[in-house]
Amino acid sequence: MAAWDLSVTVEELGPEAPPVKVTVTSDLHMGGVILRIVEKTQIKMDWSDHALWWEQKQQWLLKPSWTLDKCGIHADARLTLIAQRKPLRIILPNGLNLRLRACFSTPVFQTTIAVCHPLNIRHPEELSLLRPVEGTKNKKECSEEEVHDLTKLQYTSGPVLTLANGMPVHFAASPDTEAMYKMLSVSSPAPAPEAISKRCHPTGLVDKAQPQSRWLDSSRCLMQQGVQENDKLLLCFKYYCFRNLVPKYDAVRLTQLYEQARWAILLEDIDCTEEEMMLFGALQYHIDKVSQSEPQLRSSCTAMDDLDSALQLLEVKMETKSNTEDIMETMTVAPELHDYLKMLRPKRFTLKGYKQFWFTFKDTSISYYKSKEESLKEPIQQMNLKGCEVSPDVRVSSQNFCIKLLIPEPDGMNEVYLRCANELQYSNWMAACRLASKGKTLADSSFSSEVQNIQSFLAMQRTSSGTNITRTDESINPQSFVSTRYHKKYRDKQLMARILDAYQNVAHLSLTDALDKFLQIWQALPDFGVSYFVVRFKGCRKDEILGIANNRLLRIDLSTKEIVKTWRYNTMRQWNVNWDIQQVAIEFNGNVNIAFNCVTATCKIVHEYIGGYIFMSTRSREQSDTLNQELFYKLTDGRHLATI
Amino acid sequence: MVAGSQTEINLSIGFTDLNESLNELEDNDLDALMAALGSELDATEEKLRLNRLAGDQRRVSDSSRGQPLATPPTDHTEGEATLCPGEAETKADKIRIALEKLKEATIKKLVVRVWMVDGSNKTLMVDEKQTVREVLDNLFEKTHCDRSQDWCLCETNPELQIERGFEDHEYLVEPLSAWTRDSKNQIHFLLKPQKYALFKDPQERQFLSETKQKDKDILLRENFEGPSLKVPNLEGPLYVKEDGKKTWKRRYFLLRASGIYYVPKGKTKSSTDLVCFLQFDKVNVHTALDYRQKYKAPTDYCFVLKHPCIQKESAYIRFVCCEDEHCLSLWVNSIRVAKYGTRLYKSYQTAVRRALVPSSTLCLTPQSVSRPSTPSTTHKAPATANSYSHHSEQKQLATAPPAVEEDYLSEPPPDFIPPSPPGGRRNVV
Repeated sequence: MAAWDLSVTVEELGPEAPPVKVTVTSDLHMGGVILRIVEKTQIKMDWSDHALWWEQKQQWLLKPSWTLDKCGIHADARLTLIAQRKPLRIILPNGLNLRLRACFSTPVFQTTIAVCHPLNIRHPEELSLLRPVEGTKNKKECSEEEVHDLTKLQYTSGPVLTLANGMPVHFAASPDTEAMYKMLSVSSPAPAPEAISKRCHPTGLVDKAQPQSRWLDSSRCLMQQGVQENDKLLLCFKYYCFRNLVPKYDAVRLTQLYEQARWAILLEDIDCTEEEMMLFGALQYHIDKVSQSEPQLRSSCTAMDDLDSALQLLEVKMETKSNTEDIMETMTVAPELHDYLKMLRPKRFTLKGYKQFWFTFKDTSISYYKSKEESLKEPIQQMNLKGCEVSPDVRVSSQNFCIKLLIPEPDGMNEVYLRCANELQYSNWMAACRLASKGKTLADSSFSSEVQNIQSFLAMQRTSSGTNITRTDESINPQSFVSTRYHKKYRDKQLMARILDAYQNVAHLSLTDALDKFLQIWQALPDFGVSYFVVRFKGCRKDEILGIANNRLLRIDLSTKEIVKTWRYNTMRQWNVNWDIQQVAIEFNGNVNIAFNCVTATCKIVHEYIGGYIFMSTRSREQSDTLNQELFYKLTDGRHLATI
Repeated sequence: MVAGSQTEINLSIGFTDLNESLNELEDNDLDALMAALGSELDATEEKLRLNRLAGDQRRVSDSSRGQPLATPPTDHTEGEATLCPGEAETKADKIRIALEKLKEATIKKLVVRVWMVDGSNKTLMVDEKQTVREVLDNLFEKTHCDRSQDWCLCETNPELQIERGFEDHEYLVEPLSAWTRDSKNQIHFLLKPQKYALFKDPQERQFLSETKQKDKDILLRENFEGPSLKVPNLEGPLYVKEDGKKTWKRRYFLLRASGIYYVPKGKTKSSTDLVCFLQFDKVNVHTALDYRQKYKAPTDYCFVLKHPCIQKESAYIRFVCCEDEHCLSLWVNSIRVAKYGTRLYKSYQTAVRRALVPSSTLCLTPQSVSRPSTPSTTHKAPATANSYSHHSEQKQLATAPPAVEEDYLSEPPPDFIPPSPPGGRRNVV
């Protein structure tokens, strides 16, 4: 067989070095070719990760036993010997910029799995990589951004071993990596309002469709898609069906999901009502506060603590006194509040102002008397606050501390305003009212934390109302928790009052519960989980929107934003892609056929989205841990894998 | 037997004297009830009650407060405990029993009269730990009815002309505590096909044409077995009674998980324009009767949203009127889903299971043990003690995550033919 020269560029020799020429015959296998090149370079190193990349065909030559002939390589082929695993910059949903080694030769689906593995993100099939927005300002920012290098992280390919606190063992190696893990698993502090307004806000469905065009093709490798070493890619949740989120194991996953959801809301990627926005704001404030103060306490065990302390208390009592009656006495003595407060009933159409009474707070009821001396007599009135609505009316600057109560009674709501003299009094009574409205008494263990919550909120108001006071690091701007729409609509003070209103319903939640609640409300939004694409249906002249969700396809009118038609996957018979004319055709039960061309994204992305969601639904309970990758490719690839 | 004629529709909550109230109850269950109460009556307790009645007259707590070991079973366990003193285990037991007693002492109990379909009534004792489900089971046993999942305990308020079926997971005592002393409200035990209609015919809410059982199952699973609440997509015009006026205003309403919203005049349906009409945290949804006459409503298909405590006409009640009966049931049932979420579906599943259990085996099922209303107090203490310790165990488990991924399925199973490979080819090797 005739011998011929094959020229191969070797990455290790530097960009300027001329290609290495080796003499080969057509029946030489790829392994042999690599061996000869390596011998010729005379560099002693571990070449096991290197493979040949065929530039003209944009292909990896990964099968060492295949011959040159079988691969179809002739003397004109330009081949490069390069490492398959190279550093890549990954930006997480919380904005964290990581540098880690990723494989450039496996399909992106597997690369994503490999990237998620050391980060301990379970169910990586729900995530994927997409290109960042190309912009001119990116270059400027590049230098400022802090990059966290994870390329030196040592980890095994097997199941991730974690420490008791959920941290993977490989992060425990040094304090640096431990700090890194904390950044991954604890939600980042509230962004500055400028950071929210600076990022682009989608103004319509067409804008919302733009990011979808940036997803990488899961079935092709990074190299084939023009991704270079050290390029930046975003790692995001792509499919909105989050399987089996368990706070203990999914610290990173949960945090990143929360961050993605938070930004979707702050940037109005997903629409919500004002009430919902305020609740999201309150939850963000709460999560922010709890995760900054005690990041170690991941799960709530207050109930158990209560029981334990109660048992201990009881134990002590039982040892000292055997008389049960005494125990009952001491256990049932409930704490009380009493003070002079001013009261106003706004219901009556009089010009009467606030009037002072002697108030006592016991269990869940407020009673009031003419004066302290008369408190042994029958009260003027007793009001049970269980189920009532409590809202604050506070202006620290003018020393106005009011509690507005709306107490349900058989014939309607009883409106009562209580005015306190100072912050301390206000926080105690407010906390008592809030607990009572939930049916809890002053004896409840959450009382002191409730008081603290109120006080910290007052502190927040102090800092935001006094403009001339320089902001400390602890001061919080309410604008950080809502989208820019509300920056314009409300002044800081009003905004904070609204967030405070919503906050009282969530202030008692633990970090995990608050995260969970945030995600729950996010997932309950009507537009949740719909990815938009601008398409043109066959036979139609105007652009329309195709919405892809986890169980259905939506046809949306571009101008009215109305959903015109819904098709469910379970009524789907088959779908086809005509790659030549870039058309997706779907057949549903009952001879319903649709076909469309994609305008904003390639039809591969649309095809992959539909197939991906169907794949997600095939993840059954039994085969929970092994991912059927073959099925994924079958459903999303659209052609047979073309790796040689 | 003083005030007990069939027409007398007074429910005996809020009596001042136990004996007097017992006199009012005329029923076959009276004997059993007397036995239950009688065993707990003694002088000290009477004293305690008198003290407490001054504060809350509705409370009929049985209270072995200050009565060390009044009931035989606790006596027994306590006896065992003293047999092996000094051991940590017995101490823990003692503490648990003591805690249990503390709990028992403050359990609120009510004697309620439930009206049957045939106009007769039965009297039950309900304590605050009992769910409506348990009370229903109790009634199944008493009435030997067919145990269909449509059986419902329904509260009527004649003054407002409204009614509401209690949800199975509710604690019956809670809504009853909101009744006034002279309340004309009643509880009825009846078949209400609307109770779980949305689970039996889920496609109706979604306006879908498919009615195959398989598709129904998928809809149910998708909407109610997922990790998060899926509120039905519901929107349309409704009439609202304007505050303090006799007129009804037509508005376009939308239901969301966070509440009911309407589209303000001249605005679009986009989320940011919507005005919140009401949030569900503190209101219940009731259906109204004959409002065309009472409030000059456009139709008779009205529902009412109000705080459970409000019993009389008030500006704080929201009156809403629908175009037709179908629309009314859609709104009422969807609001229930938005308010209660997956709990409602779980109750439905329990109700279906209950309907399948033959009556003979039901007595052996655990709930007969955990039902604290069983007349004989002898079982009460140990049973509740068990359930208590079990409870704390559950809490412990809840904080630890499940090792295997279970009770979770958010998507429909793949019951379609996998797609054929795409028609076109690419220029691949």
